[in-house]
Amino acid sequence: MNSEPLLSYRVSAEYRGKGAVLRDVQFEIGQGEIVGLVGRSGEGKSTIASSILGLLPLKGGKCTGWIHFQGRDLLSLRDGEMRRVRGKAIGFVPQSPLAALNPNLRLRAQLDEAWRAHQEGSPDWKPLLQSVSLPDEVSFLRQYPRSLSVGLAQRFQIALAILHRPALLLADEPTSALDSVTQGEILSLFANLNRRYGIAILYISHDLASVASLCHRVAILHQGTIVECGLAEEIFARPQHEYTRRLIAAIPNVPGRSNLDAGGPSSDESRARGILAEHGV
Amino acid sequence: MKAARIGAILLLALVAAGALMPERWAAGRYDQQFRELPDAPPSAQFPLGTDAVGRDRLSRLLYGTRVSLLLAPAAALLSCLAAGLLGGIAGYAGGFTDRAIVSAADFFLSVPWLLLLLIVRACLPLDVSPAASVAITFALLGLMGWAAPARIVRAAVASLMDSEFVLMARARGYSSWRVLLRQLLPNVTPVLLAQFWIAVPAYILTETTLGMLGLGVAEPLPSWGGLLRELEGVSPLDQPYLLAPAILLAAVVGSLQLILPREDYPV
Amino acid sequence: MTLHRLIFVALLGVFLAPAIPADLHLALHGEPKTLDPWLAADESADAIAYLTEGVLIRVNRYTQQMEPELAASWKTSPDGKRIVFQLRQGVKFPDGSPFTSEDVVRSFERMLDPALHSPTADTFKTEHGAVKVHAEGTYSVIADFPAPTASIERLFDQVAIVSAKAAQRPAPGLGPFVIDERRPGVSIRLRRNPLYWKSSLPRVDGVVFDIEQNRDLEYLRFRRGELDLIEKLSPELFDRLAKEMPGAAIDAGPTLDSEFLWFNESQRGDIPDAKREWFQSAAFRRAISLAINRADLSRVVYRGHASPAAGLESPANKLWFNTALKPDPFDPAAATNELSRDGFRLDKGVLRDRHGNPVEFSIITNAGSKTREQMATMIQQDLGKVGVKVTIVTLDFPSLIERISRNMNYEACLLGLTNVDADPSEMMNVLLSSASNHPWNPSQKTPATPWEAEIDRLMLAQAATAGYHARKTSFDRVQEILHQQEPVIYLLHPNALVAVSPRLAGAKPAVFLPHTFWNAEELTIAPGRQGGAQ
Repeated sequence: MNSEPLLSYRVSAEYRGKGAVLRDVQFEIGQGEIVGLVGRSGEGKSTIASSILGLLPLKGGKCTGWIHFQGRDLLSLRDGEMRRVRGKAIGFVPQSPLAALNPNLRLRAQLDEAWRAHQEGSPDWKPLLQSVSLPDEVSFLRQYPRSLSVGLAQRFQIALAILHRPALLLADEPTSALDSVTQGEILSLFANLNRRYGIAILYISHDLASVASLCHRVAILHQGTIVECGLAEEIFARPQHEYTRRLIAAIPNVPGRSNLDAGGPSSDESRARGILAEHGV
Repeated sequence: MKAARIGAILLLALVAAGALMPERWAAGRYDQQFRELPDAPPSAQFPLGTDAVGRDRLSRLLYGTRVSLLLAPAAALLSCLAAGLLGGIAGYAGGFTDRAIVSAADFFLSVPWLLLLLIVRACLPLDVSPAASVAITFALLGLMGWAAPARIVRAAVASLMDSEFVLMARARGYSSWRVLLRQLLPNVTPVLLAQFWIAVPAYILTETTLGMLGLGVAEPLPSWGGLLRELEGVSPLDQPYLLAPAILLAAVVGSLQLILPREDYPV
Repeated sequence: MTLHRLIFVALLGVFLAPAIPADLHLALHGEPKTLDPWLAADESADAIAYLTEGVLIRVNRYTQQMEPELAASWKTSPDGKRIVFQLRQGVKFPDGSPFTSEDVVRSFERMLDPALHSPTADTFKTEHGAVKVHAEGTYSVIADFPAPTASIERLFDQVAIVSAKAAQRPAPGLGPFVIDERRPGVSIRLRRNPLYWKSSLPRVDGVVFDIEQNRDLEYLRFRRGELDLIEKLSPELFDRLAKEMPGAAIDAGPTLDSEFLWFNESQRGDIPDAKREWFQSAAFRRAISLAINRADLSRVVYRGHASPAAGLESPANKLWFNTALKPDPFDPAAATNELSRDGFRLDKGVLRDRHGNPVEFSIITNAGSKTREQMATMIQQDLGKVGVKVTIVTLDFPSLIERISRNMNYEACLLGLTNVDADPSEMMNVLLSSASNHPWNPSQKTPATPWEAEIDRLMLAQAATAGYHARKTSFDRVQEILHQQEPVIYLLHPNALVAVSPRLAGAKPAVFLPHTFWNAEELTIAPGRQGGAQ
């Protein structure tokens, strides 16, 4: 990993009439790193995703601070410039994959649309579908979203998200609508993509267990602030914050939990701490 | 249900065939006055009799069908396009634009359109050919009918704007135009289509109302509205053949309703 | 219990039966705009005024003769400038106060008051001043006119004489009925005037006018027995009634009304010069008249209940119609000849003027009038045969009036005129070139054509003459000029088509207005009305 982080985030955000949702939230994502962002619903996780994509104003919110990404502050970009970042440099995988597909467009059209948002011509869809383990047949793309299962839809969403080989993938609760078997498949797909293309992932979830199995580092979000941040194993082994402890306690049965408990601090952890320290945590 | 739909399509096809080739079916041209036989009862020559100035009713009915069935959909198309545009803009833009367009729609809905139509028609130049006057009448109907469907389109667009997939489209960096044309439009189209099918019979009936007031299609062109006027002050029991335009109107409107796309689109 | 109730109901019937008034039921087609008789200007207000007001001299609608009413007798001076009325004695107003010459004098004073703007007053005003009315004793009234005025007496049919003493407005009148109850938008009931000077009249208890705009509903209500009279039936409804209720449908013969077509000859308005040139050509107008088949119009549109018109006067006007005039025949060949003499030529079925412009014009008429729309359609076809292309535009009445009387943006207009009185002086407001109702070219400062100047002169001359024969000679000439020049193409005189319930006795439908209830006081209703609910 590079020493220069891919994304450096420091934002306070509020919604009109609802007051502050994020209070000086800070974290960083290194190149090719998978960072888990964990918190229960209502803690402001999705706000972070929206703020990175610059979509907060659409939901009636606004934010202050900075979001440095690939050498630019996303918050100071003009609309047109921001549009070219969305979907191209930053991919997004939504929580409800079916609702996030246009019900009246065939998959092929949706794929083409996503491609044409940033490039001419049409995408080379066969390898793309293969890379997310979808059937690489024309008949598949001829379908309307209503004939897809949630799992297939989420694979398709991921395919759309990595279409332009983004440097960063935002995944907002990507598995919460899935059954546990499919969840596992999607998680391994994320890991696979990260390995194969070096795509960094901000993985947002309320499910500490899935985060633990996927992420290099984990940040715990509680009441609009990051209460704890560190290597996944470290967090599980020595939760510092009361809220983290409650989250861990809520996991019914974590395989290898004792292992994690036994694990010591690694060099990775100290490096992560160092990065955080630069920004004053 | 299936049989009914096939029947409806057959009936419409028959009506269209009649309307397109009136001379195959009827004795005279729609404006030919057989003055020796005014108000004649049905006969072999005139299956529906003749009207007050001796014109063949069947010919007028078929030709009037052509006029009404050609122009009502055109007017419906016009109002649906206007509704799609204005309702779409209102729902998409929101805020002040939305409020302005919704207020305008409310205003249009509260205007006594019949009066407005009277005024507008009275202001038109007099030397317009009957065909042009028909077109103008229906164009006015179409232009004035935008408000109700526009409100529906606006509501649909506004709810679409909040939907996941539109947000997703933005998250993928689609431009506003692409969001409008490729994401919103395909989802508003079924709504507009439904409005269109509602508007077609409504406009046929409105022209009928105007015809009843003598403000519909100009003489000597026939239209269903003008033909229905013959029922005024006449006991239909004595002259049941006068009901032909009413029956045809009911049959066509009913058939249109039957073949209406009924599929529920997820919006 | 049941028996008791039965007896009770029976008794109730006995006691209530005489209480159901024997009312005459009619429909008005609109709310009267006023109940002030001097301001009456619409059909409904005229009807109410006719039945509730007394006048000095009444024109009998049936015989067309003048009859003494509140004036028992009158005498016109030889120079035609003075009338002396001897008033009927012992007449009482509905409030019991006696009728005297003071009431007549005060009525004229108030009616002539410029602040009132009474349309009736206009007929009593001349360029030399207004009529002066003064009393001479309790029962004698003298009316002095500033200049000799033709057939003045008939004008008094229009002047309601009301009580000078009563404070209420409108003041009570001396007609056979008084206003009993007014329900705006629903009905107006008149009840019999118990102090009416013709003893034992009226025979009915009252007259109920229901406001009913829809003539089809009026017809249905007549068929159900809810109405006793219909003043005016359309030809279709007349034929239908003649079939359904033979005897109830009465064709009283040609009226003074006329249906006609005229071209806009005004200099105002937005008309191409070429068209104005046609419209101002008498040959063109005569050709159009010759090309219209009046017999067909009557037979097809009016089902024979109308007669072709030769001019503005109907043959029904026995005193004044110029019998030498005949309606223009239907003669397309003659029309084409006439046109070719005027430089028009027929070119592949299209008539073109000397400059090569195709001859086409629009005819406006009022929307909702079936008969006029049918006439227009037939005229369209007739004129098509001589190569003239006609466009028909139906307009709502206010827009039509706006065009023909104010902005003059029209080419030709098809309308009708309801004549209330038969006297030529009543035509002044149409025939004088300076009149605002002069249809083809209103409100001219000086007559635009020599023949209009001649009509002006003849009309003023006849109005200033007292003798019938001299007046008739002048007016015959006026009719002759109009027939030659055809500024208005008179088409038809429709017949008076009325409906009279068989239960009604004493009805004598007349061609003058009101057709059916002009003798309302003498009508009687046979008992046993069914469903005659208000």
